[in-house]
Amino acid sequence: MRRYVIIFILVIVSTFVVHEWLMLVHLFPREASAQSIPVDQLFHVHLWVISFLFSLIMVTLIYSLIVFRRRKGETGDGAYITGNSTLEMTWTAIPLMAVLVLAYAGAKTLGAIRVIDPTALQVKVTAGQWYWRYSYPEFGVTSSDLYLPANRQIDLQMTSVDVIHSFWVPEFRVKQDIIPGRTVDLRVTPTLIGEYTVRCSELCGLRHAYMEGKVNVVSQGDFDKWIAQQESAAPESPELRGQQLAQDYGCINCHSVDGSPKTGPSWLHLYGSIVKLTDGTSVTADDNYLKTSIIQPNAQVVLGFPSNVMPDFSTVLDQTMVESLVAYIKTLK
Amino acid sequence: MRKIYSIGLVRGLLWQILGTAVGIGILTGIRYLLGLTPWKPESAFVFGALLGALFFVYGIGAVDGWIKVASGKEAPELDETNWGRARYFGVSLDHKVIGIQYLVLSLVLMLVGGSFAMLFRTELANTGLQFLTLMEYNTLMSLHGMVMIVGILVGVAAFMNYLIPMMIGARDMAFPRLNAFAFWLVVPASIILISSMALGGFDTGWTGYPPLSVRAPIGIQMFFLGVSLAGMGTILSSLNVITTALRMRAKGMTGFRLPIFVWGSLATSMISLTATQLIGLSFQMVMFERLFGMGFFDPAKGGNPILFQHLFWFYSHPAVYVFVLPGLGIISELLPVFARKPLYGYKWVAISSFGIALIGFLVWGHHMFASGMAEYLRVPFMYSTLLVAVPTGVKFFSWLGTLWRGKIVFPVPMLFVLAGIVVFLLGGLTGPPNATVATDLQLTDTYFIVGHFHDTMFGGYIFPFFAAIYYWFPKMTGRRLNETLGKIHFWLMTPAFITLSTLMMRIGLLGMRRRIADYDPSLGVTIDNRVMTVAGFLIALGILTFLINAFWSLRHGEIATGNVWNSRSPEWQVPSPMPIHNYDKPFEVVGEPYDYGLPDSQYIKFIEEE
Amino acid sequence: MEHQTKSSAMQLGLLVFGALAILTAVEFAIALTTNLWQVLAVIPFIKAGLVLYYYMHISRLFENDEDVDKESFAYKLATNRIGLWLFLLSDMFIFGGLMISRINLLGLTRPDLIQYLGLGVTTILLISSFFANRAEVSMESGDRRQFLVSISITMSLGILFLLGVLGVEWRLAPFGPSTNLAGAIFYIMTGFHAFHVFSGVIFLAIVLRNGAHGLYSSEKHWGVEASVVYWHFVDVVWFFFYPALYLIGSLAK
Ligand code: HEA
Ligand code: HEA
Ligand code: HEC
Ligand code: CUA
Ligand SMILES: [Cu+2]
Repeated sequence: MRRYVIIFILVIVSTFVVHEWLMLVHLFPREASAQSIPVDQLFHVHLWVISFLFSLIMVTLIYSLIVFRRRKGETGDGAYITGNSTLEMTWTAIPLMAVLVLAYAGAKTLGAIRVIDPTALQVKVTAGQWYWRYSYPEFGVTSSDLYLPANRQIDLQMTSVDVIHSFWVPEFRVKQDIIPGRTVDLRVTPTLIGEYTVRCSELCGLRHAYMEGKVNVVSQGDFDKWIAQQESAAPESPELRGQQLAQDYGCINCHSVDGSPKTGPSWLHLYGSIVKLTDGTSVTADDNYLKTSIIQPNAQVVLGFPSNVMPDFSTVLDQTMVESLVAYIKTLK
Repeated sequence: MRKIYSIGLVRGLLWQILGTAVGIGILTGIRYLLGLTPWKPESAFVFGALLGALFFVYGIGAVDGWIKVASGKEAPELDETNWGRARYFGVSLDHKVIGIQYLVLSLVLMLVGGSFAMLFRTELANTGLQFLTLMEYNTLMSLHGMVMIVGILVGVAAFMNYLIPMMIGARDMAFPRLNAFAFWLVVPASIILISSMALGGFDTGWTGYPPLSVRAPIGIQMFFLGVSLAGMGTILSSLNVITTALRMRAKGMTGFRLPIFVWGSLATSMISLTATQLIGLSFQMVMFERLFGMGFFDPAKGGNPILFQHLFWFYSHPAVYVFVLPGLGIISELLPVFARKPLYGYKWVAISSFGIALIGFLVWGHHMFASGMAEYLRVPFMYSTLLVAVPTGVKFFSWLGTLWRGKIVFPVPMLFVLAGIVVFLLGGLTGPPNATVATDLQLTDTYFIVGHFHDTMFGGYIFPFFAAIYYWFPKMTGRRLNETLGKIHFWLMTPAFITLSTLMMRIGLLGMRRRIADYDPSLGVTIDNRVMTVAGFLIALGILTFLINAFWSLRHGEIATGNVWNSRSPEWQVPSPMPIHNYDKPFEVVGEPYDYGLPDSQYIKFIEEE
Repeated sequence: MEHQTKSSAMQLGLLVFGALAILTAVEFAIALTTNLWQVLAVIPFIKAGLVLYYYMHISRLFENDEDVDKESFAYKLATNRIGLWLFLLSDMFIFGGLMISRINLLGLTRPDLIQYLGLGVTTILLISSFFANRAEVSMESGDRRQFLVSISITMSLGILFLLGVLGVEWRLAPFGPSTNLAGAIFYIMTGFHAFHVFSGVIFLAIVLRNGAHGLYSSEKHWGVEASVVYWHFVDVVWFFFYPALYLIGSLAK
């Protein structure tokens, strides 16, 4: 009996010591979103469970090793004990209950961070090798840094143009993989004004390590100011906006504007010309053709170029953006 | 020249080179005849590598027996008594030889994988790029993962092959030819896997997710092919293990009188027999996507990248239990010997292995919580994942019960067993935070996960298997490993490893992502990374000590032909090393396997010839 | 006595074949008319059950032989059987994975294929299974001539099936493997299956050759049993693939 009391006391003490130690060593980044609160609460439940189970097993283990070690000159075997059904049932049943409680808490927390606010601010996120682009459909603003107003839920509508990426700001405590060909959503409510970094956390090729971007959480007032600034800074004419988009979305990595060869056909003298397609037909490069070429690159493939190389931009670019791009291509005729 | 050629391994390698050349030639020739551009490196290398593997297996003579049988001739088992050391370098049908071959291959693979880790760990000692390019980093990191995993699978096969027939009193495995074939398939497969470095490497991690893997350099094809072939080998080897354990047991060895390691192995083999096909399939589908433009995972063609992840994890989650179940079996097997007490709650421990294996089939989705899979799947997968903690807990508590009131001794194998328990506890306890979705969304793809799985794999595999090597080395060679060097090995490796993995978790929580060649100095994890690198080198030093010990003891170790550990297990009741067909006399099971402390009890009794 | 068991076994084989043929015809009819996918998904399981029980003798696995001498032929035979079935179990997971992929990617659509050709190759494979069973029954009763004839027919039908799928269907299909998803799924499923048929044909060829040299007897013919069971397995896989590729759902674009 005395042994059990000693172990019991040691386990309790050790649980608190381990837990205290875990709290002391700096482990978590700041909590900068509404979602981070329930998540961290769940983390703390886990820390208690871990501290307790670790102590329970380590204390018993070390105690046994010391007390039941074979002493000098001792021979023979240990006590002949093969088991005890009640005890075995207990140590199956109690953890079973414990994990069910844990899972229930997990489901609750998941519910809490997935609460959807219909008035959320929508931001479209485009991930590509290796950049982040954001557009604010409400304001028609595009940007390569993310600006978010504090204390308002943000509805991130995310898509990728090439491989899988993942949106993660450690301080926000949520993460979502971004899959090419579809749009996934992530809800986050930033609460703490400051500068953060979005870190792509799904391996996406060579420069994955560097696929980071700035995230600025600002007050609503500053956000409005920033939007206004962006709107006025944005070029007035669709042609210039198109030029900007061609830069932002990496079109010019594959399409030259001076006739030189790149992965895709050059845009110089494209508008109005006759384009030969791989299926043997030819079309005139009018507005419609250019639009389809941008949102459905594989519908009409240019002769001499591979299909399936140009990413599908249909989920990334909206109507006006496509029109601006076409307007820009027109200027190159 | 002749003499060198007569060594199986050399012959196999020569044939593999020949096969690769022939394959490349044939493919190029066919393309030429069809009027296509003759030289298409990707298909040429894939076909060449495949043919190379087949040529290897043929060249070394692993299929000779079957060819004879197929052509209607008798194919008697050869008498290997006088082959001497050559047995280990060519096709032998003796399960003990095959077991040791597996063991050596496993050690070689882990050394290769470990050296890769040392290289990229050095790179990570500082922010910025030091001496590796991004591509080199990614290739080394990905290959480190997969080579280590194949190394584990091979190591698991090593002990299953070596021990099971002896433990259950069989003269060999059920299908000795299949056994040899399975082993010799893994050898060229490993070569192909590592050859991916020469073909441009790849940058996908060991998980090879498309669409990234569809765009990677040709090296990825060798990775896929090598893993598929090695997978084939594990399937065949586990088929053999199951049949052997079901059919070849000695008289009286009923289910609950089996040595506990056999239970773990059976559960393991059930997993590898079935689930392995799906990693093979998922990898082959990407191979075909690359070779023939089939759009399974290509969103532009309507394909579904998530489907790959489901197929992949359907194997790769259960696979993690393949890594640990035999290791946990070894812990349960050795603890009674060194505590001199019966294994506490034998039946529950035996059943818990199957519990882990079966629940393990239902939890794969926990690797995909953030992947964008169907939302309603996340919660069920969370429940099933957490359930695995229950049977695992049973094992822990049984170990504690076994130690309680024992008379514990601490030779080197016992030290490794204890370290295994502690480290696996750390790994296991960091499982539940990954399993609850909300916290996993923070943890996934960070170094926390890296810490979690190094802990589980070291605790469930590396430590127990080092224990097993120290423990069964006398059985294999008739000599003991040196205790002092063993203790040095242990004390170098254990604290260093615990430091390494604990820091991994810490920097993960602080925001360091995994699979990055360079990290942001503003995270404040540079010092931690430096300590980790040093810890990594200490581990390597420990393993170096072990290697020196092994080579030295092979010749000069203390002679130990008797029951070194005073064990009740059948294999220790006869002198070491074992003769070719194991026991001269069959035995009968007359008692419980772990009745230490019960006076005059016996586990087995040899049947005297009348 | 000996003769009677043989003829009753033959009769049973024929009966099972009849049931399979009728079920296949029903499938085809349903596909052409109502296309109820629920029914089309269930019928393969019934067909598979029939073959597993009557042709592949799955119950032989569960025969109790605790007391049999472990060195005897009978005991080793049963061990071999377990090995073979474990292999089939493992193989099943590949085909299961392919089915899952097909369901996930195509749902209730299917590739645009030549219906009568599909029915044709299915019939060929079905008949070949009947003859495979006949070959085994003949061997069991020691009728070597009948055995050789049946196994040759099985093998030829197998080759015919391969020609039908690889030679005709693959050529005539209005899509290639890279055209669309339906094409990709079609080629990978038939490809994996054809590879198994091909290896089955090789096993049958080996058995045929060794049988002609008189290597098997009515008691000892593990080679025959193994290759025939494997053959039936490949047939069972096709039971599932056929409706999945040809019958269920509407045409994919
Ligand atoms: C040997 C291998 C091994 C083992 C045994 C485990 C065991 C477990 N693993 Fe781990 N895991 C990996 C290897 C392993 N894992 C690998 C390699 C990866 C990463 C793959 C990659 O992405 O590259 C991974 C990733 C991984 C993830 C995905 C993380 C992510 O990428 O987002 C998750 C999520 O749930 C997880 C959970 C668990 C759980 C719950 C267990 C449980 O089985 C643990 C059970 C044990 C205990 C809990 C401790 C003892 C129990 C008790 C004392 C009883 C009482 C306990 C309670 C009441 C809680 N693991
Ligand atoms: C069992 C498997 C195993 C083992 C032993 C190790 C061992 C080590 N690993 Fe491992 N690691 C993985 C499996 C393993 N790793 C996996 C699966 C990944 C994920 C890859 C991915 O993301 O795709 C990974 C990723 C990974 C990363 C993350 C990389 C990244 O995300 O960018 C790091 C970083 O520090 C790391 C470090 C180390 C170090 C320093 C060791 C050291 O301990 C190594 C020192 C060892 C040696 C020098 C030789 C070892 C030899 C033996 C152990 C022989 C024993 C043999 C028997 C007992 C039979 N590993
Ligand atoms: C990764 C390379 C790549 C990127 C990035 C890319 N394209 Fe393309 N693009 C191609 C290729 C290759 C073709 C020719 C094949 C085809 O028609 O699909 C093409 C064709 C086109 C055409 C038809 C041109 C012609 O000559 O008929 C248009 C228009 C076009 N792209 C617009 C865009 C726009 C707008 C963007 C950016 C938003 C963009 N592309 C980004 C590779 C790319
Ligand atoms: Cu994008 Cu990693
Ligand atoms: Cu897992």
